[in-house]
Amino acid sequence: MFKKWISPLTAVLIICGVLTAPAATASSNPTRIISLSPSATEILFGIGAGSQVIAVDDNSDYPSTAPFSKLSSFTPNVEAIAAYHPDLVVLQSSATNAATIQSDLQKLKIKVFVEVTPNNIAEAYAEFIALGKVTGHPSRAKALITSMKSQISEIIARARKKTPVTFFHELDNTPYSADSTTFIGQIYSDFNLSNIADAANAGGYPLLSSEFIIKANPKIIFLDDGQYGESATTVAERTGWSAISAVKNKHVVVLPLDIPDRWGPRMVDFYRFIAQSIAKIN
Amino acid sequence: MSTEHGAIARIWNWRITAFCALILLVVAIMAVSFGPISINFFKVFKTLFDLPGGSTGQDRTVILELRLPRVILGALVGAALATSGAVYQTVFHNPLADPYLLGAASGAGLGATIALTSTHHDLHAALPIFAFLGGVLAVFTSFVISGKFFADPNSLLLSGIAVGSFATAIQTYLQQKHSAALRPVYSWILGDLTSASWGVVTWSAVYILIALGILFTVAKQLDGLMLSDEEAYSLGINPKKLRIIAVAAATLATATAVSASGLIGFVGIVVPHLVRGLTHRVTNRSLMTIAMAGAAFLVLADLGARTLLSPAELPIGVITAFVGAPFFLVVLRNRRKVMQ
Repeated sequence: MFKKWISPLTAVLIICGVLTAPAATASSNPTRIISLSPSATEILFGIGAGSQVIAVDDNSDYPSTAPFSKLSSFTPNVEAIAAYHPDLVVLQSSATNAATIQSDLQKLKIKVFVEVTPNNIAEAYAEFIALGKVTGHPSRAKALITSMKSQISEIIARARKKTPVTFFHELDNTPYSADSTTFIGQIYSDFNLSNIADAANAGGYPLLSSEFIIKANPKIIFLDDGQYGESATTVAERTGWSAISAVKNKHVVVLPLDIPDRWGPRMVDFYRFIAQSIAKIN
Repeated sequence: MSTEHGAIARIWNWRITAFCALILLVVAIMAVSFGPISINFFKVFKTLFDLPGGSTGQDRTVILELRLPRVILGALVGAALATSGAVYQTVFHNPLADPYLLGAASGAGLGATIALTSTHHDLHAALPIFAFLGGVLAVFTSFVISGKFFADPNSLLLSGIAVGSFATAIQTYLQQKHSAALRPVYSWILGDLTSASWGVVTWSAVYILIALGILFTVAKQLDGLMLSDEEAYSLGINPKKLRIIAVAAATLATATAVSASGLIGFVGIVVPHLVRGLTHRVTNRSLMTIAMAGAAFLVLADLGARTLLSPAELPIGVITAFVGAPFFLVVLRNRRKVMQ
């Protein structure tokens, strides 16, 4: 019964598309984009929209050709943004008062793309597609995803462990961790690594105790707090930690800065890094 | 004290009131004129009063939709916190009492955290209502627990502290459990006026002006609360009833301010003492002066909040505490000298 509607509908859609498409692409592709998200900055440059970006926030630091500015991503100021006369602003939904900032920008007739932090890679790819669409680079976005997917599955095929290997991911020396429900946790799962933080059952970022970590005895430790001075040496010096398998066998790895926290094209680099880190562990 | 001296004090008092009103006006015009987008001062002035030659387009929106509501909200919140602070100080016979004393802040914090950690994202928009209800409920609980309907201000104060700690404990638990909400909760606690829009200004103006109206009306009688209850009765004042009215109105003003702008500290302590120091009077007849001074203080602090770290925003609580904390210490020190 729906079938008979499909062809007239398609025809109408195609006609509308043809009528609006040339005009739309000519006038609606933004040429003055402000990115207030480090990940969005990397994605925009990855999908070929870099030349349309006129300013990026104070946390964006990649690629080096991006137009860096002092605009804040966490506490954006509408007026400071408006002073650039942008036609599209990428705003993180987690920014302070994001909803108000979005409506204020819209009052100034500035289009806003609200970036919701993805919970998994599929959602990250969805952001690639959405940004591709809104900036006029839908095919580049799709091509980038295809290439990333094939590189990542190749890396996993090579490095995935046959039997689960326990690990501990440290966010800070309190120590907070990230379990398998988080974005980064799912990446570790792809390699058949077993996250000791899952036992806390916190659904996110549990605060663990030293005693628990020593008892769990992970085979590898990933330090995401290298920039705060933590290293294999400081971890070995912690009371009781020298008994942990990862410390004894020198499998304490400092993660590279920023890459683990961003869901841009450099996710491939992160997969590669993890693959190298676990290569020698059985 | 001669009547002549009384007359002079009254004139002086009115001068201070006029002075505070003038300062508020100047500060407000300054706050509307400064921002990351530089707009000619005369254009701002003309736009504000809808005179010919004002700004159009984006600049007009910036002035009338972004800056003006924020300045007015700052003035309302500042007036509410300063006046409530002065009233609390009188009611509790304690110069260091502040509007958050009876658990209003912790209760509102708990309400806000419940809204922010909820899995229903619609609730995030209802944050002001949650914060408001949390603040009012916490103060109400303090009342009920203290018992005997407010016979003794000290037991109310203690139950306020207990209720506040309890609410903070639940709030911290929720926030640790939902670590993703940590940053929004934290920035809410530091307070800011970024959420200002005409909608927010309208509803907070209604509640705050009603509460301030009540407090200004009973201002003269509030002085009676500084005496013992027997003396108050002899002056024809019912201290128990008056305390309930005063605390209820001050709580309404505080809860509204908190739900519109988060927890902005120290305004309630600094401003009343500053005004009383200038007028050399402890009397509550200067409540209106205190309200205007509070408004001017917060508008100025917010100007600092949006320009000091520009283009980022600095939480306004940082500025009020930065000025307020040293001032708090000076008040403490002077008080000790008086007692010695």
